[in-house]
Amino acid sequence: MRFTLGMRNLALASLVIVAALPAFAQDVKIGYAIARTGPWAPGAQVTQEPNYILWAEQVNAAGGLSVKGVKRKIELVAYDDRSEMETMLRTYEKLMGTDKVDLVLPPWGTGANFAVMPLLQKYGYPVLAPTATGRKLLEMKNPYFFAMLQQPDLMMGALAELLVSRGVKTAAVIYVDELFGLENVGALEAALKAKNIRIVEKKSYPLGVKDLSPVLKDIKAKNPDAFIGITYPPDTFLVTGQAKEIAFNPKVFYAAVGTAFPVYQQKMGATVEGVMGLGTWNPKSNPGTKAYFDAHVAKFKKEPDRWASAHGWAGLQILQQAVEKVGLDRKALRDAIANGEFDTIIGKIRFKDGENVSTPGIVSQWQKGEFEVVWPKARATAQAIVPKPAWK
Amino acid sequence: MGFWLDLTASGLITGGIYAVVAVGLNLQYGLMRIMNIAHGEFLMVGAYLTWWAHTALGVNPLAFLPVVMVVLFLAGLLVYRVCFLRIARGAPSVEVIEARSLLVSFGLMYLVQNAVYLAWGADLRGYSFLTEPVEIAEARFTANRLVVFAFALAASLALLAVLRFTLIGKAVRAMMQSPVGAQLVGINTATLHPVVFGAGLALAGVAGALLSMVYEISPSMGEPYTVTALIVITLGGLGSAAGCLAGGLLLGLVEAFGMHFTNPSLKMLLSYGVFIAVLLARPKGLFSK
Amino acid sequence: MRALGLRSILAATGVSAVVLAAMPWLLPDFWLSLALTCLMYAALAVSWAMFCGATNYLSLATSAFFGIGAYVTAWGLATLSYPVAVILGGLAAAAFATLVGAAVLHLRGAYFAVLTFGLGELVRHAVTYFEKSYFKTVGRVIQEAPSSTTVYLTVLLIAAAAVCVCAMVRASRLGLALAGIGADEERAQTLGVNARRAKILGFALSAFFAGAIGAAIAVRWTYIDPTAVFNPFIGFQTVLIAMVGGAHTLIGPLVSSVVFSLLTEFLRLQFPYAFLILLGTLLILLVLYLPGGLASLMQRRWVRG
Repeated sequence: MRFTLGMRNLALASLVIVAALPAFAQDVKIGYAIARTGPWAPGAQVTQEPNYILWAEQVNAAGGLSVKGVKRKIELVAYDDRSEMETMLRTYEKLMGTDKVDLVLPPWGTGANFAVMPLLQKYGYPVLAPTATGRKLLEMKNPYFFAMLQQPDLMMGALAELLVSRGVKTAAVIYVDELFGLENVGALEAALKAKNIRIVEKKSYPLGVKDLSPVLKDIKAKNPDAFIGITYPPDTFLVTGQAKEIAFNPKVFYAAVGTAFPVYQQKMGATVEGVMGLGTWNPKSNPGTKAYFDAHVAKFKKEPDRWASAHGWAGLQILQQAVEKVGLDRKALRDAIANGEFDTIIGKIRFKDGENVSTPGIVSQWQKGEFEVVWPKARATAQAIVPKPAWK
Repeated sequence: MGFWLDLTASGLITGGIYAVVAVGLNLQYGLMRIMNIAHGEFLMVGAYLTWWAHTALGVNPLAFLPVVMVVLFLAGLLVYRVCFLRIARGAPSVEVIEARSLLVSFGLMYLVQNAVYLAWGADLRGYSFLTEPVEIAEARFTANRLVVFAFALAASLALLAVLRFTLIGKAVRAMMQSPVGAQLVGINTATLHPVVFGAGLALAGVAGALLSMVYEISPSMGEPYTVTALIVITLGGLGSAAGCLAGGLLLGLVEAFGMHFTNPSLKMLLSYGVFIAVLLARPKGLFSK
Repeated sequence: MRALGLRSILAATGVSAVVLAAMPWLLPDFWLSLALTCLMYAALAVSWAMFCGATNYLSLATSAFFGIGAYVTAWGLATLSYPVAVILGGLAAAAFATLVGAAVLHLRGAYFAVLTFGLGELVRHAVTYFEKSYFKTVGRVIQEAPSSTTVYLTVLLIAAAAVCVCAMVRASRLGLALAGIGADEERAQTLGVNARRAKILGFALSAFFAGAIGAAIAVRWTYIDPTAVFNPFIGFQTVLIAMVGGAHTLIGPLVSSVVFSLLTEFLRLQFPYAFLILLGTLLILLVLYLPGGLASLMQRRWVRG
C-alpha cells in the first residue's frame, strides 16, 4: 500500500517537474537591430547597445529575468542594421513576424524609431526608446511606443531658467538644419521670451559644415551674454574649437548634443571646462548611477554618456519590473508600462501618452573632468559656474 | 579691410583642407584612370593610425607622419598588385579601366571599413593637437588648421615641381598623355604604376593623419571625404595638380563668403551650384589639359 | 545563338509578375520585405542600365530621382491616392531629368558622373532649404501609409514595367541610337542619329522608374527627411548592381539585383560582425575574375535580350 502511494506521488511529482521543465529551460528571447556600422553607429555604440548587452549579462548572472516570479535566462538576438532604414525594418519584421521573439528593444535614433513604430503596433511589441525625441514623434500617439528622453520644451525650459537665475539678458543661437534643431530652437525661443531674454542672433547651418568661424565671428561682434548651439556631435566639437580659436568668451557657452559624450572631454581636454549642454546624470547623482557607471566601465572599458545612456538603462529597468509583474503577455506589458510608476537610476518614471513626464529638463556643465548636473537644484551635483572661465 | 582678409583667410584654410584630401586621388585617377572610391577609407586609416599612436604610445602626430606615409605607400603597392594590376593589364579601353576600378574599389571600401570596425570599434575617437590659436596680422587661426593649409600648399607645389622638373615627373606626364607612347620610348610603366598608386594612397593617409588633429574620427568618416575629393578634382580638372589646389581653395572661398553674405544653410547650395556652373562653362574643369 | 525575341521577354516578364504577385499571401513578412528590396533594386538597376549601359554614361543621379519621387509622396499623399502619387513621382523625376539632361549631357566620363552626384546633393539641399524656410519643417510624417501588400504589388508593377520598357527600348530605334551613341557618338550622329534628343529621352525614361520607386518605397519609412531619401548610397548601390550584372544586358542587372540582395542579407544575418569583409572580398574577386559581369556567365544560353 505504502509502496503504491509512494510510487504515485513520485509519478505525480515527476509529471509536475516535467511539465514545468519547459519554463525552466526556455530562454526569454529578446531581439533588436542596432547600428554597428554606418553613420548611426558612433551614437548607437556609446549610448545604446552596450546597455543592452550589460543588462542581459547582469540579469543572467542573477539567475535570469523574473517572469512573474519564475526566473528565465535572457537570450539576445541581435543584428547590425547598417544604419539603413530598409535593413532595419526588415530585421524587425524577421524578429517579430518570423522568429516571434518574446520582446524587442528599439533601434537608435529618431528616424529609425519613427520608421519602426508602425511595425511595433502591428505586431504588438512595446518598446522604451532612449534615443528618440521630438513632438512629431509623440504626436503619432503610438500606444506601443514610450519615449524616455526629456522633450525639447523641458530641456530648453530648464536652460532658460538657469540663464535668468544668473542674470543673462541676451543670447545668440545657432541650430542644425534638422528636425531636432528646429524643434529645440522653437522651444528655446518660447522659453527665452517668457524670461525676457533677448535673442540677438539666430542662424541655422547644415549638418556636416566644416567651418563655422564666420558665423561665430559675427556673433562675437554682437557680444551676447550667452551662446546657445543646438548642435550635433560634429558641430559641437567644431564650435568649441572655433570659439576658442577666435577667443569668443561669452558668460555662458552651451552646445546641445555631444557634450555628454566622454569623447568630447577626451578629445578637447581642458578646453571643455565650463561648457554646458544636454545632460541628465553622472556617477555622483545617486548610488544607482554609480553602480551602473562602474559596471559599464568594468565591462566595456569605456564610460557611458551623461545623457541618454542612463535613459537607456532606466528603460531596461522599467521593462524588467513590468515583466516581473505581468509576465510576457505583451499587451499586458504595454498597459503596465503605460499606467505604472517605476523606480529607475534616474528617479521615478511615469508615462503620459508615451512621454516620460517625470524626469525634468536638465542642464549640465563640465567642471574639472566631470559633466556636473547644475540645474535644477533638486538634481544638481554641483553649482553652475557663470561666467565660464576663458578657454584653455 | 581686416575683415575681408580674415574672411579670405578662413576660406583659404578650409580650402586647403579640401585640397589636401583630394591630392592623392588626383594622382591615381589622373595617371591611371583608376577611380578609387575607397580613397576616403585610406584617409581614415591614416587618421586612426595617428590617433592610436598618439593616445596609446604618446607619439607626436607630426613626427608620426613619415611612418603613416611609408605604411600606406607599402599598402598601396600591395593593393595595386592584388586588385588593380589585372584590370590595368586586361582592360580594352580606359573607360573600362575606370568602370572596373570603380567596382573593385567599392569592394575595398567595404573591406577596409569593416576591418577598422573590428580593430577599433564604431565609437567616435579624437584627440587634440596644436589647438592653440596663432595670431597672424590681427587674425587668429588654430595652429593645426594652419598646419593643414601649409601642408596642402607644400604638397601641391612639391608635386607640381616633381612633375615638371624631374625625370620621373616627365615620365609620369608622358604616361598620362599616352600610355603606349610612353612604353615605346622606354618608360617602365610596370614599375611606375604601382609607385604612383602607392604615392596616392600615402598622400591620402597623410591627409587623414593631419585631419585627425583637427576633427574627430570614426570608421564611417571616409565617404564624405571621398566625395569632397571627387568634387575638388573634377572642379579643378582631372589629373591636374594645380587644378586640385585651385579647386579646393575656390570651394573654400565660396563657402566662407557665401556663409557670411547669405547664411550657412545656403552654403551647400552655393558650393554645389558653383561646382555645376563651372563644369557647364568648362566641361573639363578649371585647368583642363 | 538564338535571339530571345521581344515577345518572349514580355511574356516571360508577365508570367513572372503574376507568380510574384501571389507572394504577399504565401511569404512571411520578412521574406516579403526581402523580395521587395530585390524588386526595388531590380527596377533601379534595369532602368539605369537601359540608358547608362547602352550609352556608357555613368550616372549617379539615381539618388536625386529617388528622392524627388519620395518627396512627391511626402507632399502629396494626403491629397492624392497612392497610385497617382507614384506616377506623379516618376513624372516629376523624368521632368527633372529632361531639364537637367538638356544642360549636362554633353559632359562625359568621370565629369558627368561627379556632376550627377553633385546634382543629387544640390536637390537635397535645395529641398531642405525650401522646406525649412517656407514650411518651418525638415521632414514630413506620412500619416496614412498604404499596407505593405499594396506597396509590394506597386513595386512589383514598376519593376515589371521597367523590364518591359527596357526590352522594348532595346528592340527599338531609340535603343539602337543609344547603343550607337555608346559605341561612337560622332559616328552615330553622322549616320543621322539625333544624339541630343535620344540621350535626353533615354535619361528621362530611366529617371521615371527611379522616381516611381522612390515615391512607392518612401511610405514605408513613415518619416521622410532629405537625408534619408536623397541618400547617395542608393545611387552607388544601383550602379554597383547594374555593373556587376553586366550593364549592357537586360538580364544582367535583373539577376544581379536578386543575387546581391539575397547574398548581402544572408551574409549579414550569418556573420553579424564581419560580413562586409566577406562581401567586399567577393566583390573584388568577381570583378577581377569575371570582368564581363554575371551576364557573361549566361551568355551562351541566353542572348543579349
